[in-house]
Amino acid sequence: MRRLFGYAMDIGEKMLVCGAEVHRVEETVSRIGYALGAQRVDVFIITSSMVVTIHTPDGETYTQTRRVTASGFDFERLHYLNHLSREICAHQLTSQEIEQRLHAIDTCKRFPLWAEFVSYAVIAGAFTLFFGGGVTEAVVSMLIGVAVRCGLWGADRLVSNKIFGKFLATVIITLLAYLMVSLGGIPTVDKVIIGNIMTLIPGIGLTNAMRDLFTGDSIAGILRTTEAALTALAIAAGYYLVTIIGGLVV
Amino acid sequence: MTWTEVVQIMAGFVGSLGFAILFNIRGKRLAAAAVGGLFSWLLYVLLSDCITGEVVVYFVVACIISLYAELMAVWLKTPTTTFIITSLIPLIPGSSLYYTMTSAFQSDPTVFLQRATHTLQLAVALALGIIAVTTLARLSNRVLRRLHRQ
Repeated sequence: MRRLFGYAMDIGEKMLVCGAEVHRVEETVSRIGYALGAQRVDVFIITSSMVVTIHTPDGETYTQTRRVTASGFDFERLHYLNHLSREICAHQLTSQEIEQRLHAIDTCKRFPLWAEFVSYAVIAGAFTLFFGGGVTEAVVSMLIGVAVRCGLWGADRLVSNKIFGKFLATVIITLLAYLMVSLGGIPTVDKVIIGNIMTLIPGIGLTNAMRDLFTGDSIAGILRTTEAALTALAIAAGYYLVTIIGGLVV
Repeated sequence: MTWTEVVQIMAGFVGSLGFAILFNIRGKRLAAAAVGGLFSWLLYVLLSDCITGEVVVYFVVACIISLYAELMAVWLKTPTTTFIITSLIPLIPGSSLYYTMTSAFQSDPTVFLQRATHTLQLAVALALGIIAVTTLARLSNRVLRRLHRQ
């Protein structure tokens, strides 16, 4: 029981890391708990931490806590985690089976790194066109998109602080955009910056925050709102830093 | 539909596809997520002609796309978030946020306030649309399950 309980925690933690909503994770962990034969399951989960207690029929209680770091989106893994949790609920799997499955999920396919660089370029280019930019502007955006991904990678290596990464990325975007304008490559910076900012913007974060808030997970919602607000500030700060210093120098 | 709108719809599709790849969505789910991005801006363009007020249009599109996401989630047996997040990406008020930012230090503060309010309104309309459908979906799920049990 204790061992199986650990797997429920593992699944919950991995789901959070892959970007599942708090509500879904809470529901999954408690369902697995009941499916394992618990009499009562108490779950408290926020984006960065999990506290779960299960009460067994023979009167024992087990509590586990997890500190959850990193949050991104990996919907392929989330898909299989969701699948696994349903299977555990439907028919009892042995701990060996669960372990095998979890291992398979951990090693599940990801797109290669170059695909990520290409995606950044394509997103930036597409949104430059989307917001009314011309073809030259889109091409410039794509190149800056690659630079942004490099900047994010570097920031992650240096300080592993997401918000600083976004700040640095915005500095790169604004700097390169103004550079291209002064070189005469593009008429204005606006569309190029907008296209590239789309990859950094906390739009998704804010939407998730609102969803958490309105579905009753207030603490998780507040955490996410704060994070989104800080990200927006970091982007604004990066932009202002370059424009103000640039304005003084030029 | 004008040529610019067609370009926008295609760009929305490509943008959503890019994000879907970043979020490691594969196979049929990748296709459904990207097509959702195409739908969202197509709907925006179509509805803008018959509904006045950008904020209202945002809300309605968010509702329809969330419904699409719920249906796809049932069909492809995967969490709804996969489709909601990627499909609504073209509606994220990126340019609105940018122009809010650029006007922050300009001489006229009313312009800044106006733009900031507008950006916030769009974001809230988007979130409310999603929440409305999510709540209904959860409710109907519960009702269906109870009926199933009986």
